Amino acid sequence: MKKTIILLVTIMVIVTSAFSQAKKPTIMVVPSDVWCNENGYMMEFDNQGTTVKIPNYKKAFQENPDLLQVISTINGLMAERGFPLKNMESAIKTLEANSAEDAMMSSKESGIGASESPIDKLKAVAKADIIMQLTWTINTTGPKKSVTFNLQGLDSYTDKQVATATGTGEPSFTAELPVLLKEAVLSHIDNFNASLMTHFEDLFANGREVIIRIKKWDDWDEDLETEYGDDDTELSEIIEDWMADNTVNGRFNTTDATENMMLFEQVRIPLYYEKNGKQRAMDTRRFAKQLSKFLKNEPYLIVNKVTTKGLGRATIYLGGK
Amino acid sequence: MKIKSIIKTSSIVLLVLFSFIQTANAQKGRKKADKQTVAWRYELEAVATGVQGTYQIKVWSYSKNVETATEQAKKNAVHGIIFKGFPNKGRVQGQKPLARNANLYEENEDFFKEFFKTGGGDYMKFVTLANNGQIAAGDRIKISKKEYKIGVVVSVNIAELRKYLETKGIIKGLSDGF
Repeated sequence: MKKTIILLVTIMVIVTSAFSQAKKPTIMVVPSDVWCNENGYMMEFDNQGTTVKIPNYKKAFQENPDLLQVISTINGLMAERGFPLKNMESAIKTLEANSAEDAMMSSKESGIGASESPIDKLKAVAKADIIMQLTWTINTTGPKKSVTFNLQGLDSYTDKQVATATGTGEPSFTAELPVLLKEAVLSHIDNFNASLMTHFEDLFANGREVIIRIKKWDDWDEDLETEYGDDDTELSEIIEDWMADNTVNGRFNTTDATENMMLFEQVRIPLYYEKNGKQRAMDTRRFAKQLSKFLKNEPYLIVNKVTTKGLGRATIYLGGK
Repeated sequence: MKIKSIIKTSSIVLLVLFSFIQTANAQKGRKKADKQTVAWRYELEAVATGVQGTYQIKVWSYSKNVETATEQAKKNAVHGIIFKGFPNKGRVQGQKPLARNANLYEENEDFFKEFFKTGGGDYMKFVTLANNGQIAAGDRIKISKKEYKIGVVVSVNIAELRKYLETKGIIKGLSDGF
């Protein structure tokens, strides 16, 4: 009997800990715009009279073996630390394959294709929670060569730089560029990971930082100054109170607020939420959905729509779907 | 005949006594060096980045004799990598310490006492002497009548050391908590 109880308790502990794990951030190495520009991997297009340059990652991956070597070394070192990275080259290929598949797909009964709005198309880009932005330049002094290496960890949720490692390696007469590059990665990756670790520790202690926007549809008769309840509280105040109650330690910043919009920055959302007695990993969309439900229910009955941008931004449109 | 026997016996006694004093002195020296390690009395200097996860560093230890300093250099190097880190030297990149908590030693005192045990501590697995432990002429500095500051170059496998400490639960891994 005693043994059975111990076994049951052990199983419960294992199950609870398995469900209470936070979502592991995805990380992807991306060559920086500067590197792409310096090495001629840019596309130019005309945007209503203005020439805009954007990086041509596909071309870079197809034509630059040094880039592949650096990314492969970083991927290998991160995998060794228990953090396998998303491979950008593969992510681009998957997106292309998906796009081709979607274009060919049609319903068996009606022959109609899958629906895709312009927004859906715009959002079909390779994404990761943290982007490791990579830049290197080769310095030449007479016959000597050295590499200046810069690795930036950018949080896609907030666009903040959360980790960094940068420096110039030892000049060499003889070493080939791939050797210098590998040496640069090896000597910088540990410091990069140390600063990344600081970011993760902050995340566990204070929650994930995201941005929440509230907007209203033009045809909605109410606005954020509409008063609700017996004490005539304005909708904007109600939303602020909800944020204070549901963020980690009530941490958020109301950056902007008018009768038509509100902007909350540095919103610290918890890493978990509870559903059906189980803990689940929380993300920005789920957090915004909770606010959306709160506004949709009694006594407010505000129909609304939640959209997300990137991984750390959500917008709630009030007054319709 | 009798005198010969007395001389023989006394020389054996003297020899035993001498070796005993030598051993006692060496142990005393090691104990003193161990105390200095815990008291952070050493300096680390980056020399080169080696193969994947390995660093060559010069450890400046303080000792009366070269042997103790050489042996202590290995311990100091591992101790320094865990608790101190080392700064950039020229264009060789420095490294932050593996410990992210200032009280890590105090919180895991039993573990670290065993880990750094002289003659058999696990720290030996992660460090080797470079250049067969040879000390360059300029790396032997007399700082007082009885003490030298000695620079020994060692090679430390930081990647394996980190993995070991993570497995033992002493430091957190990058993916812990996810």
